[in-house]
Amino acid sequence: MRARAQRVSWVVLGAVFVFALVVGTAGDRAPRTETERVRAVASSVRCPTCRGLSAAESDARAAQAVRDEIRDRIRAGESDAEIRAYLVSRYGEDILLKPRASGIAALVWVLPVVAVALGLSGVAAAFRSWRRQRATGPPTDEDRALVDAALSR
Amino acid sequence: MNAVVGQGAVLLGVLTAAGGIVTLALGLRRRSGVLLDGATRYSALLLFAAVVAVVAMERALLTDDFSLQFVADNSARATPLLYKVATMWAALEGSILLWGLVLSGYIAAVTWCFRDRRRDPLFGWALLAAFAVALFFFGLMVGPANPFERVAGAMPADGPGPNPLLQNHPLMAAHPPMLYLGYVGFTVPFAFAIGALVTGRLDDAWLTATRRWTLFAWGFLATGIVLGAWWSYEVLGWGGFWAWDPVENASFLPWLTGTAYLHSVMVQERRGMLRVWNLSLLLATFSLTILGTFLTRSGVLDSVHAFTESGIGPALLGFFAVVTLVGVGLIGWRGDRLRAPGTMDSPLSREGAFLANNVLFAAFAFVVLLGTVFPLVVEAIDGDRISVGRPYFDGMTAPIGLALLFLMAVAPVLPWRKASTSLLRERLLWPARCGAASVVLAVLLGARGLQPLLGFGLGGFAAGAALRQLAIAFRRQGWRGLVGRTNGGMIAHLGLVLVAVAFTAASTYGHRSEVRLRPGESAVVAGHRVTYEGRAVRSYENRRAIEAAVRVDGGRVYRPALSTFPFATQAIGTPSVRTGVFEDVYLTLVVAPRGADDAAVIGVAVQPLVVWLWIGGLVIALGTALAAVPGQRRRLPTSPASAPVPVEEREPEPVVAS
Amino acid sequence: MRVARWAAVAVAMVMVGLVALLATRDASRNTAAASPLISKPAPEVIAPDLDGTTIRLSQYRGRYVVLNFFASWCVPCAREHDDLQRFATRHGASGTGDAQVVAVLFDDEPAEARAFFEERGGDWPVLVDSRGKVALDFGVRGPPESFVVDPDGVVVARIVGEVTDTGLDRLIAQVEAER
Repeated sequence: MRARAQRVSWVVLGAVFVFALVVGTAGDRAPRTETERVRAVASSVRCPTCRGLSAAESDARAAQAVRDEIRDRIRAGESDAEIRAYLVSRYGEDILLKPRASGIAALVWVLPVVAVALGLSGVAAAFRSWRRQRATGPPTDEDRALVDAALSR
Repeated sequence: MNAVVGQGAVLLGVLTAAGGIVTLALGLRRRSGVLLDGATRYSALLLFAAVVAVVAMERALLTDDFSLQFVADNSARATPLLYKVATMWAALEGSILLWGLVLSGYIAAVTWCFRDRRRDPLFGWALLAAFAVALFFFGLMVGPANPFERVAGAMPADGPGPNPLLQNHPLMAAHPPMLYLGYVGFTVPFAFAIGALVTGRLDDAWLTATRRWTLFAWGFLATGIVLGAWWSYEVLGWGGFWAWDPVENASFLPWLTGTAYLHSVMVQERRGMLRVWNLSLLLATFSLTILGTFLTRSGVLDSVHAFTESGIGPALLGFFAVVTLVGVGLIGWRGDRLRAPGTMDSPLSREGAFLANNVLFAAFAFVVLLGTVFPLVVEAIDGDRISVGRPYFDGMTAPIGLALLFLMAVAPVLPWRKASTSLLRERLLWPARCGAASVVLAVLLGARGLQPLLGFGLGGFAAGAALRQLAIAFRRQGWRGLVGRTNGGMIAHLGLVLVAVAFTAASTYGHRSEVRLRPGESAVVAGHRVTYEGRAVRSYENRRAIEAAVRVDGGRVYRPALSTFPFATQAIGTPSVRTGVFEDVYLTLVVAPRGADDAAVIGVAVQPLVVWLWIGGLVIALGTALAAVPGQRRRLPTSPASAPVPVEEREPEPVVAS
Repeated sequence: MRVARWAAVAVAMVMVGLVALLATRDASRNTAAASPLISKPAPEVIAPDLDGTTIRLSQYRGRYVVLNFFASWCVPCAREHDDLQRFATRHGASGTGDAQVVAVLFDDEPAEARAFFEERGGDWPVLVDSRGKVALDFGVRGPPESFVVDPDGVVVARIVGEVTDTGLDRLIAQVEAER
């Protein structure tokens, strides 16, 4: 009885959760205002005179100049990619806060994925070997040696 | 005189550490109890040397002794008292001095606490390792990072004072010492790990013995990081609190591996497993503190607080290499003894959850380390300069963070060895209700976006699980149910959930704009009315500030300012923040009004839930303190085995279906 | 525990690699710096000088131009000012006439720049870059930075940090030799 009530609760909770998420993520694609666009591009670009802040976060003059430039170019009809390309053509690749996914810089995107994959497969392998270990029959000589070593300490 | 005393004290420290190492080495080799006893005297002497050196430096600072290069470079007559004291750790050499003091303090404390075991070779080796670290740091102070160097030539009449960003707020006084108590504190468990590896006694006796030390260090590190974020918010004026700046990452990395370690040791104590993980995590934590110090002190990367370049870089890098190679070598050598006799029965178990925890935290640390160091690597290989900034870190760590929140919810209800789905279905129901309620509440309040909503939902889920554990413990033990490792840990989890939720909300839903106002004019930003009332020009003892009086919502007046310091280059902005339970109104003076009637450009940022970051930090600290209190029954250290071990805190019995 | 041993070896190798890499890094010091503008035509600069006269970079075609971004609050800028003066005297209209120094004010007030020049001398045009557009067009990260533009209007070098007159002479001689 109790188990069934719980199952029903879970289903209801799941439905509520999914529904809320759907509501929360729909209507997300409203067209952006100019200010929002400026902010979006500026936050992907470094403030030239600061350490680590984006051009959207900093109040430095150079950051304001970058925001002004972005605004002017948006008004001229340029796309986000074109504006970023212009800034890279003047400041160099390191003005972008997100490294490009090409060339050697792509490693910074690839390596974490590889690491996580290795980690997960390592864990899976460990569980497999543990299952095998539990499935063994009588103790091996290696096991006996371990026990002797532990007992003699 | 200060220089002579200070330099002498540092030299004494070096000799003492060296003497300690030699005595211990001889004592261990000859198994001489007398020699091992003698080592404890060296601890006291080391502490004495450190205290004398610090007192000499503070005296030099407080009496404006400009014959010392450090004082001449970093202090000024006009600097207020509190900041003069804090100037010691405002720059490189002095902060090494602080490190030396904290380290000596820890060594002395450890020697005292373990005085009954001083003839134990494990402890002897641990102390030797600790003295070796101390020798390095005191050695730095004799060599490249000498705080007591005298000024060459004539003694200057005054100095430039500490970096203006470092004397804007009294928090500057608290943040580095607290961070160092954390950072340096990890030397203790590291030293014991070395001792255990060298003596081959890899059971968990040393783990149990150093548990509170590790907890202590971790707690201070966590608090130090939150304080750093608060300082960044209140002082730096950009309206944010975490920029994935290399210095922030340097303090965050050891925290990540340290957190994994704190959880993973429970598996070792209970089942004798994950020993290689634990040793590796501990080694990594300590190594990362050294690497972090290297990255921020050598000028290899740039950052707000990387002071200046100096000869200390190669020394720190070399020490990092030595530490890592020694640790890895020892683990490799002792690999055979680290094999665990037991196995994990099922991934769906407490052990499985902790293993997943280790993997996730390791991935998190890997991503942060990679992002921090990658620009260097690319520049070395290609010559190209690239940046790895916030979008990378946020994007890569958000999924890991969400997975960790999920684990935080599920792991406390998982029993050891094996769980059944019916058990989970039962125990996670209440937390799941909290999670769903959180998402619904967030959506009703207007939050949008998949990632933040997932964050809120999983945060609610995790908070629900923690509260459930606390409720069960409270029902069973009353107020005692709130102390001890598990319960304190649950409170710390609650604090972390607060921090995670606040971080998500503040980062995603902030509004930022600038308004140009003449005196008397108002503007409305994100539902708040800001009125510029006029400017005031103030002269303080160490700076000249132009303040803008801004009234928010017809209430209090806030005064964001732009200050100029006598020897500094540009004006430094000071924000003024109206902290509220639900949101903060963050004001900065972007362009100062030229005259009393001119317009000012005021930056206004409205961010939700920021105060909960700091409250969450306090809750984490509280939880850590409670976790350090002994539980009901004192457990004796035993060797690990697959056999059941007497339990400290009992698991809640599975509820029988009625 | 073979896995532990192999993992240890792997980690050790990565650490040694990382350390070797970091050991070979100079602690953030550079002078002649990279720039995407090198070997490309210099962006046009149109800005008022301290007296209000509009100056264009293109009006100096036919001579080398040292475009010097500076600020009155910048300590290395004060240090390099003497060198720039020597260079300007040697190569300016009164000297060989083959090079011109043009300063651009970076994140500073014209009044401060005027005071700076009054105090230290130097008679080359100082452009007021009020919106920061010129600095942005050249990708300037912070003063002092100087760009050397050849008589055809092509950027040949970018120097981050103080310049010296001998350094500039050497650079121009090198470029001349390759033309």
